[in-house]
Amino acid sequence: MEFESPKYHNEIVEDLMNGKFILSKEKHFEELKEHSDYYKAFFEKSFGHDFIFLLDFAYIVSPETNENLSRDICIFLAILCYELDKEGINFLDKIEYGDFSLEEVDKYFENSSFTDLIQNNNQIKDFDAKRKLIKTMTTKNIIEKNSEDRFSFTAAYRVFIDFAKELAENRTISLEQKDN
Amino acid sequence: MINEEPISILRFLSTYFDIIRDLFITQKEDRIIRRETFEIICNKNNAEGIRKTLFKYKIVKQVQDDYELRDVYYNLFEFILFEFRPLLPDEIEKYGQSISELFRKIKEGINSDKNILLDRITALSEEVKKFSEAVDKNKIRLLSETRELKANVKRIDYKEKIQRASHWTDHYILPLNKILDVNHSESITNKLFDISEFANQKRLNFDDEKIKSQFERLHKQLIQTNDDLRLNHKTFINELLPLIERIKTESLILTGWIEFLKNPYRIDTPKLFKTDRNNATSTKMYLSTKEYFELYQNVEDAYIEQEEQQPARWIFNKSVYKNKLNNSLPITNFFDWCENTLQKEGVLTNEKILALTTLLFEEELSINENLENETTEIKTINSKFIVPIIQVNKNGI
Repeated sequence: MEFESPKYHNEIVEDLMNGKFILSKEKHFEELKEHSDYYKAFFEKSFGHDFIFLLDFAYIVSPETNENLSRDICIFLAILCYELDKEGINFLDKIEYGDFSLEEVDKYFENSSFTDLIQNNNQIKDFDAKRKLIKTMTTKNIIEKNSEDRFSFTAAYRVFIDFAKELAENRTISLEQKDN
Repeated sequence: MINEEPISILRFLSTYFDIIRDLFITQKEDRIIRRETFEIICNKNNAEGIRKTLFKYKIVKQVQDDYELRDVYYNLFEFILFEFRPLLPDEIEKYGQSISELFRKIKEGINSDKNILLDRITALSEEVKKFSEAVDKNKIRLLSETRELKANVKRIDYKEKIQRASHWTDHYILPLNKILDVNHSESITNKLFDISEFANQKRLNFDDEKIKSQFERLHKQLIQTNDDLRLNHKTFINELLPLIERIKTESLILTGWIEFLKNPYRIDTPKLFKTDRNNATSTKMYLSTKEYFELYQNVEDAYIEQEEQQPARWIFNKSVYKNKLNNSLPITNFFDWCENTLQKEGVLTNEKILALTTLLFEEELSINENLENETTEIKTINSKFIVPIIQVNKNGI
């Protein structure tokens, strides 16, 4: 029996199973888009994973989550957004359209008032740790390196930004319920 | 009446521009120029004598104990500094009412007094102009306010930012959008379309040339106004509303992050796929397997001591078996005797058979092999021996 699969099947499965976000600019995204139903069924029936396909990126999730990495990224992004806003920079524009130098990021974290949080997190506590986290995010396609010391965020950043938005909305709802 | 040359007034405005601008800003913020503030501003830059000229040129007038810029100068500075006060939609909507009322009267009195009709057309044209200017000014002001809010020049708190953004949206942008929306039946833009249509007909078929030409002018003005309004509306839809939405979103995200940073280890973060080391499609599979095997290379030998007792080892005691053999003589088949003797002592092994065979070489024994070359079989636990039938007797008499 011959096994039929979409083009780039191996790359698609390998990338997603390695926890990577597949971005719209990648060659296998179009194939993924065309066969999104196939991959939804494929990942669910083969491994019990959820395949999530969005406008400009796709990824998979399973009940077992990489909790530490997710939390480290959230802390990193939360502090970065906060510090950018403090400097009067539109953080959403900067994350969406701009790029960052490693030196600039170090500066924001050095001047941050979240000292305890930074010192107690092994992934952001110093320069080397932050570089390691940035490297990990690069392997997951959350960040892309533009040069040796510059990087920008990919569309996958929205997973985390949406999380923050949802958190704020839930908080507003619970405060309203309390008031009533 | 001002008895001065207009050019002198303009020169004065130019020379003392900074001072008059300061007076304008003060009035814009406080709605009046307090006497003390007026003195401070006028005394700036050694501008002695300016006070007198401000009154002489009727730029400033006294209001009880305080002062204010006359409307014409206030409006001039408002215009050249682009410092418009944002108009409330209600203030703009009043033009809609006056335009509707004038239009109704023009239609009703189209065959009445021609002079009144001409005056009404002129008045309508004026109102349309004022309406269009009010919208334009508001667009400029709202864009500037929103951009300033977005750039956060004043470094205001994110909560205040969201409040201000909501204020601009709810009280200014959305109602103004409604006024301009051509798809909204009650919008002023829609009314202007109707008037334009009416003016178009009348400019072609009205019998009085003067009125015909007034309708012609009104029609052209309305075409221009509708184009301007369309562009302004486009700015609202494409720039102002998304800008406001973005400010709100940004502030919401920041609220969420601050909430998260209060307790980052107690809140469930977004799910991220956890990679499986043993995933067969993983490129790391080869290295992982190699690493796994290397873990067990060069490992020292380990011994496990068994606790259960080993069975006693069989030891060939030659004299014991020699005695047994002597007591059994004469024997017609030596290997039968070996088998019978050893069966009483556990399992029959090759070692036991071969050990007993050594007895055949004892000197006091006489051995006769069967002449007819008959053989017999002995089965041990792991072999089968085919051996000759040997008779054993005592040697000698």
